[in-house]
Amino acid sequence: MTKLEAKNIVKYFYHDSHKLEALGGINLKVEAGDFVCLIGPSGCGKSTFLRIIAGLEKPDEGQIMFDGHPITETGPERIMIFQEGALFPWLKVQDNVEFGLKMAGIPKNERAKISNRFLDMMQLTKFADSYTYQLSTGMKQRVAIARALVMDPDVLLMDEPFAALDAQTRDLLLVEMQLIWEKTKKTILFVTHNVTEATVLGNKIVIFSNRPSIIKKQFENNSPRPRVTEDESLLKLQQDILAELRPEVKKSRG
Amino acid sequence: MMGKNFIPHRIAFYIGIIVIWQIISMVGVWPDNIFPSPYEVAEDLAYGAADGSLFYGIATSMWRLSIGLTIAIAGGVVLGIFMARVEVINQTVGSLVLGLQSIPSVAWVPLAILWFGLTDAGIIFVTAIGAIFAVTINTYTGVKNIDPHYIEAARNMGAKGGQLITAVLIPAAFPYMISGFKQGWAFAWRGVIGAELLFSFLGLGFLLNAGRSLNDVSQVISIMIVIMGIGLVIDSVVFKRLEDKVMSRWGLR
Repeated sequence: MTKLEAKNIVKYFYHDSHKLEALGGINLKVEAGDFVCLIGPSGCGKSTFLRIIAGLEKPDEGQIMFDGHPITETGPERIMIFQEGALFPWLKVQDNVEFGLKMAGIPKNERAKISNRFLDMMQLTKFADSYTYQLSTGMKQRVAIARALVMDPDVLLMDEPFAALDAQTRDLLLVEMQLIWEKTKKTILFVTHNVTEATVLGNKIVIFSNRPSIIKKQFENNSPRPRVTEDESLLKLQQDILAELRPEVKKSRG
Repeated sequence: MMGKNFIPHRIAFYIGIIVIWQIISMVGVWPDNIFPSPYEVAEDLAYGAADGSLFYGIATSMWRLSIGLTIAIAGGVVLGIFMARVEVINQTVGSLVLGLQSIPSVAWVPLAILWFGLTDAGIIFVTAIGAIFAVTINTYTGVKNIDPHYIEAARNMGAKGGQLITAVLIPAAFPYMISGFKQGWAFAWRGVIGAELLFSFLGLGFLLNAGRSLNDVSQVISIMIVIMGIGLVIDSVVFKRLEDKVMSRWGLR
């Protein structure tokens, strides 16, 4: 079943009064339960594409279909996880995780029941009463993931969430992310510029071209899970992806 | 933070001031009724405390201040949020706010007297209007400086309209808003005393003016000390604590 469909998404940036075409007509179908990694040269508009799916930006042309209906606004069925987490520093970890439930008017004891489950899943129970500045970057991203999962969205939109993490923390979260995906059956779109990360996580890997971006190529990735960064079975795929990516990165710098 | 404890220095400093003051008054450069000794001022304070006039004056001024400041904070926060979120309001109302902010509180007194007469409402008006624009401008700056991802994340999780204001905009802008409240309080305190001087009915400003008309310099000085003392206490007890609490929660200090 098709969960998301991007139909000819075009987006312009305006920079000092001249117009820059960022997305040059993106067409993509995402099936329910897919783990799709989007990879491309920096500045290619992959994050913008994610924001358009989230409903935080509007495309200049084209349409995003969700379960066959065009989306016009942001909605809790498509939850975005930001690169820096965007956790609220004025709230404790537990209140951060419960934020969406509170907005939906769910009573306090029920919120606690739901959030405790996800705090436990993300190994955050000990930190429920901490403020966010007391957490490491990796812990913050765990909170951001818990805060998103609590909403029970159909689709998770992850914008380079592990880019700021140290290697060990990232490797741990890469394994956990696969377990979460298997457990929750969410559809995940994951933007990254890291080929290893993309091959560890994705069962589909989508290559964006340089600006104006189109989808250059899609790869299937059926290696057994859980995968880790040093899996040799992923090497061939990583080389194929790099071969597609290299000329685009060069163009973006040219 | 403060590495060393300076409280003994501070106590010594104030004792020094009082001693020098006492010496000058004893030398007799100026007559007693122009330059009273610290003892006479203290006596005056004790007298005011004993007959209750001092406490009544403090209570009256504080009551006016709290109503005026409450109005200023409520109005300033609402105005500041609208200016930050609606550009046309910023370009129109915002420019007027900047202009009005440059008017000293006491310059509103003639208008207040004409509009409200010699009433509490007039003094409260002067207090509120003197404080509201500082609150407005700080709230505006605070909301403008919110990380846009906070707002996007909140909208994405279903926060709308009023919810977005109370659950995100106000708490996210709060560190700036506290500075606004602090400035607003300082303006309000000056405003209420200034207005009471000119309206001349009850309150600390009135007592100050009464001291002047009786040629009672020690009363004037004693009331000034009370005004300063209240200012210090409110600054350090109310605002310092509020600031510390918010800053430590955000991990800013």
